[in-house]
Amino acid sequence: MSLPKRIIKETERLMADPVPGISAVPHEDNLRYFDVTIEGPSQSPYEKGIFQLELFLPDDYPMTPPKIRFLTKIYHPNIDRLGRICLDVLKSNWSPALQIRTILLSIQALLGAPNPDDPLANDVAQDWKKDEKGAIETARQWTQQYAK
Amino acid sequence: MSSGYPEERPHKKRRFFAEEPSSPPAPVPQIQHPDSPPSFASPEPSHGDASSPITLPMDGQLSQSMAVGDGFDVSLLQAVVGDVPPSVIETLKAQSNNDVQRAINIYLDGSYQIAASAPPPTAPVRKPSMQTTLLSGLARHDSEVSNASTPGSDSPTSLEPALRSMPTKRYIGSFGVVGWATKSGTNLIRHEEKVNIERTKIQPASSKPGRGGRVRVLNHKKQDIVVRFTNLRGEEVGRLENDSAAWISALMDQKVCLFEGSCVYAPEKLRMSETVYLQLRCYLLRSAFDKRKFTKPDNNREVNLFEEKESADEKALRLRQVSLVKLFDSVNLQPSRVNSTTEKHKRQGLLQAAEKEEKAKAKKTADAGEVGSTQASDEEDGEELEQDQLDSLYKKAQSFDFNTPEMEPANTFVMNLRKYQRQALHWMVGKEKDEAVSKDEESMHPLWEEYQWPTEDADNMPVPAVAFQTMFYVNPYSGELSLEFPRQEQNCLGGVLADEMGLGKTIEMLSLIHTHRTELPTDDFAGNAVNALPRLPKNSSIVERAPYTTLVVAPMSLLAQWQSEAEKASKDGTLKVMVYYGPEKLVNLQKLCCQANAANAPNVIITSYGVILSEFNQVAAMDGNRGSHGGLFSLDYFRIILDEAHFIKNRQSKTAKACYELSATHRWVLTGTPIVNRLEDLFSLVRFLKVEPWSNFSFWKTFITVPFEAGDFIRALDVVQTVLEPLVLRRTKDMKTPDGKALVPLPPKTIEVAKVELSQDERNVYDHIFMRAKRVFSANADAGTLLKSYTTIFAQILRLRQSCCNPILTRNKTIISDEEDAALAADLANGLADDMDLQSLIERFSSENDHDVNKFGAHVLKQIQDEADSECPICSEEPMVEQAVTGCWHSACKECLLNYIGHQREKGNIPRCFNCREPINARDIFEVVRHDHALQEDNIRSDFLDDAPAATQTPRISLRRIGLTGSAKTQALLTQLKAIRRENPKIKSVVFSQFTSFLDLIEPALTRDHIPFLRFDGSIAQKQRAAILTEFAASHKPYVLLLSLRAGGVGLNLTCAQRVFMMDPWWSFAVEAQAIDRVHRMGQEADVKVVRFIVEGSIEEKMLRIQERKKFM
Repeated sequence: MSLPKRIIKETERLMADPVPGISAVPHEDNLRYFDVTIEGPSQSPYEKGIFQLELFLPDDYPMTPPKIRFLTKIYHPNIDRLGRICLDVLKSNWSPALQIRTILLSIQALLGAPNPDDPLANDVAQDWKKDEKGAIETARQWTQQYAK
Repeated sequence: MSSGYPEERPHKKRRFFAEEPSSPPAPVPQIQHPDSPPSFASPEPSHGDASSPITLPMDGQLSQSMAVGDGFDVSLLQAVVGDVPPSVIETLKAQSNNDVQRAINIYLDGSYQIAASAPPPTAPVRKPSMQTTLLSGLARHDSEVSNASTPGSDSPTSLEPALRSMPTKRYIGSFGVVGWATKSGTNLIRHEEKVNIERTKIQPASSKPGRGGRVRVLNHKKQDIVVRFTNLRGEEVGRLENDSAAWISALMDQKVCLFEGSCVYAPEKLRMSETVYLQLRCYLLRSAFDKRKFTKPDNNREVNLFEEKESADEKALRLRQVSLVKLFDSVNLQPSRVNSTTEKHKRQGLLQAAEKEEKAKAKKTADAGEVGSTQASDEEDGEELEQDQLDSLYKKAQSFDFNTPEMEPANTFVMNLRKYQRQALHWMVGKEKDEAVSKDEESMHPLWEEYQWPTEDADNMPVPAVAFQTMFYVNPYSGELSLEFPRQEQNCLGGVLADEMGLGKTIEMLSLIHTHRTELPTDDFAGNAVNALPRLPKNSSIVERAPYTTLVVAPMSLLAQWQSEAEKASKDGTLKVMVYYGPEKLVNLQKLCCQANAANAPNVIITSYGVILSEFNQVAAMDGNRGSHGGLFSLDYFRIILDEAHFIKNRQSKTAKACYELSATHRWVLTGTPIVNRLEDLFSLVRFLKVEPWSNFSFWKTFITVPFEAGDFIRALDVVQTVLEPLVLRRTKDMKTPDGKALVPLPPKTIEVAKVELSQDERNVYDHIFMRAKRVFSANADAGTLLKSYTTIFAQILRLRQSCCNPILTRNKTIISDEEDAALAADLANGLADDMDLQSLIERFSSENDHDVNKFGAHVLKQIQDEADSECPICSEEPMVEQAVTGCWHSACKECLLNYIGHQREKGNIPRCFNCREPINARDIFEVVRHDHALQEDNIRSDFLDDAPAATQTPRISLRRIGLTGSAKTQALLTQLKAIRRENPKIKSVVFSQFTSFLDLIEPALTRDHIPFLRFDGSIAQKQRAAILTEFAASHKPYVLLLSLRAGGVGLNLTCAQRVFMMDPWWSFAVEAQAIDRVHRMGQEADVKVVRFIVEGSIEEKMLRIQERKKFM
């Protein structure tokens, strides 16, 4: 299946004009499959961490959102153990006007502003609510341990 | 009879004249011969006595009749018929032979009135004719004249001496007839008694030359065929039986034959209506060999009486012809030589033809019940041809051999000829130069038959022979008799050029004019063209030859075109063209075109049919004096060309007759339709061309019209084909050369199938109808009523097809009636109307809650316009493809937007704006219509006009709700049309649909997009149609012509268009191809692109497959 113009354009732009702290590189054998790295935002428990993600553009992209998942273990109330992300723009609030770039920025932003009220990983969220300081510390430890 | 004889008779021949005296039998002095040839009187004085033994019995008869008044009871006559003037009584007395009974009969049948105007009746002289002739024949001096062997015998004037050398009558044969008595009595007539055969009717102003032929006159209102016979005493005994009387009377009336009878058997005691057997001896009269009056070419004088006169002549001719054939049949005389071409046509055909004519006539008179209406029958003969008969006829005539040699035109001709045109030139030059036939001296005229004079009579008694006159010749088709060997006339040196319109007949003819022309040095000219001269009319001596001139006769509107074409095709100064029309007519053509004026004579004279007719009338008014008129008829042209020759298709029309009278060496007719609707159309052309034998109408009728009307089409058409084959060159535009190329190559045409995807709403409607159709079908299949309900199924299929075009169509009652689909109508009336399901589906498609779109501010439009060039946020296309905006003014490609909405719907979500996530509705999507390619002359008034200052030069735009453009197909069409206009704003297009109501729906869409269009369908009046087509062809606007497949599929010429859109498929592609060929035909100069819209995954795709299958069949 030939690659839609939109994907080619997005890829070109990601290469030519990368977002600081974010990189997305398509696989050579499957241009819909991207290896993504996101740097943890500063002043967040994830600072200095480099997180690996995988991103896949389904056939009906951009009608449907890209499929995206953390490969790096992360302690975050909206990201579960399998790396799945709870983010509205990846679900109901997806719009074809959004792009890979904007989605990745959203994820970066999510790292800086966890939202334990809409959790995906319930245990983490509860910890976060009970003992926010402890949770942040755990997150920082995990980052140092895994996100290198 | 003709005043021409004395002058024309060569001096030398007078010799025979002097010897004549001994030859003819002596006419009895008492008999008047008012109409016998001038030569007749002269031999008499020196006539030998022995040859005219007037037998005695006559005397008694003579004296009896002279004794007028004896035994004539005037009072009895008056008692019966009332008071009569004495003069009438005298007449009656004379006519009735003093027989009161007869006189009363004559008075009552009114025939005496004519007699009154006729010359006084001669006394009934009885003659012993048989002996007379026998003896006279024996005594006859052998003339040294012979027809064939005498030098110069082929000159027409030699006929006269030959005629003179013939006895006044000559035995031809005898036969038995049956008569019935009109009288009772004993010993009225005995065995072996001579009887006189009499006619009761006579031709006006002439008495019968036969001796003893009593002049008896009837008011010939009815066709009178009564032939009486009288005994030696002159008493009427009876009449001949009708069958034989019919033709015997005709022969007697027309002075062809003389009959002498003898009684074979009669009962001693004769009763009324008893049968009497007679033996008749028949003699051909000398006068019969004289030229017939009506065959003379001086018909001009009869211009005013044309219609009747010609028909009356034709009638007389028919009578004579049939009677002669019957006579020869009766006396069992077989032709000793007939022409091979006519041999196969049996005499049977002649008789059959005549009989049929009789019947038709009888029927006609019976219908009309009036005298005089009989004339009409001849004018309307020729049934119309069916199209397929015409086709098969043409097909035969069109077996054009593509390997025909070509001929390069003369170098004075500057145009380039196509290959088939060079072939035509070769053919035409060949036709004009063909002289092979004329060389054969011995070739008999195809219409004539040769007969031997009998040497013995029925009783084996020798019949007097006339030396060198052992043969005589009969033309069974005209009834002409001749002693002279009828030579085959010069073959027609021309033909019919019947190429289809647009193949360049004019050019082909001009190339002929250039290539085959008389050489200027006139020396060797005579050898060639003089021989080729066809028979000229009698007064040809005053017709000047114009050996350099071609006369072109064309409809008035084409005169200018001929002139300009002729000038365009010729090197400067090589062709002198003159239009003979209006003021030009003052020129004396005779002086201008004569041979002496060779250097200045015009090569081409172009004139109109109207001029021909008016000059013809003038010449006719001058008693046919062509020479002094100095006009068109005063010349004998080198060549005549009749353009659009179907102008003369009616042989009775004056124009046609005028054209026949034009003389020329070469005759051509040009016409795209040699047969318009009856075979007689062709006859007129053949007549003009003077193609023997077919230019004889009687011949034509016998072998073509009559068999055709009798239903013997194959035979008739076969004959026509033999006529046409050597004469006609016809090519059609769709002819293919052997390597499969068209005769005239057309620019390429590409046909492309454009797949159309239905919108979701349309799809719903379609699926709904489809499901129901399926249900109906399987229900019927289960019940076994499939065949019965095929109309219903058909109706369902029609629905499906309609819903492919536009779902609204399925609900449109006018369409239903339009399609005349009663089943569908009934369907609608019953269950379906209540089918709210479908109704709601269609409503969902069509509903228009028309927001007032005017509320959009100018700034919104500005923003939209700015966005137009940016990237589509959905597909990244740049600029957007067909920009569309949401209700919240966010732009994207139309397709992307609709796709996205569809996607969301599919997932059961409320569609939201891709940008601001506002809930949106598919109907609230607006297309941005840009007017950058709109017509300058069109004053665009848009509700959504962009008010941007003119300085910015930004194109004006407007917004349009997407749902409004109607169905997917309409949108696809608009997309295509707009693409064309971007590409070349001048291209015209044609849109075909079989649903006129679909065209109705396309119209507003075109209006909205400011695409100028015209509409053409069956509902438009004929007059208006022409106006529409002219507008479409002539206008500079890039019109779109909306055509219904049925109204516009055939015949039209739409070559000004270059694009064709087929909105819906028909069951057979041939119908669509027909329509496409309206555009892709002769005259099309550009490539033609055809787009056929087919809805994906629908019945239309299946129809395509059916078309494919049909193509293979």
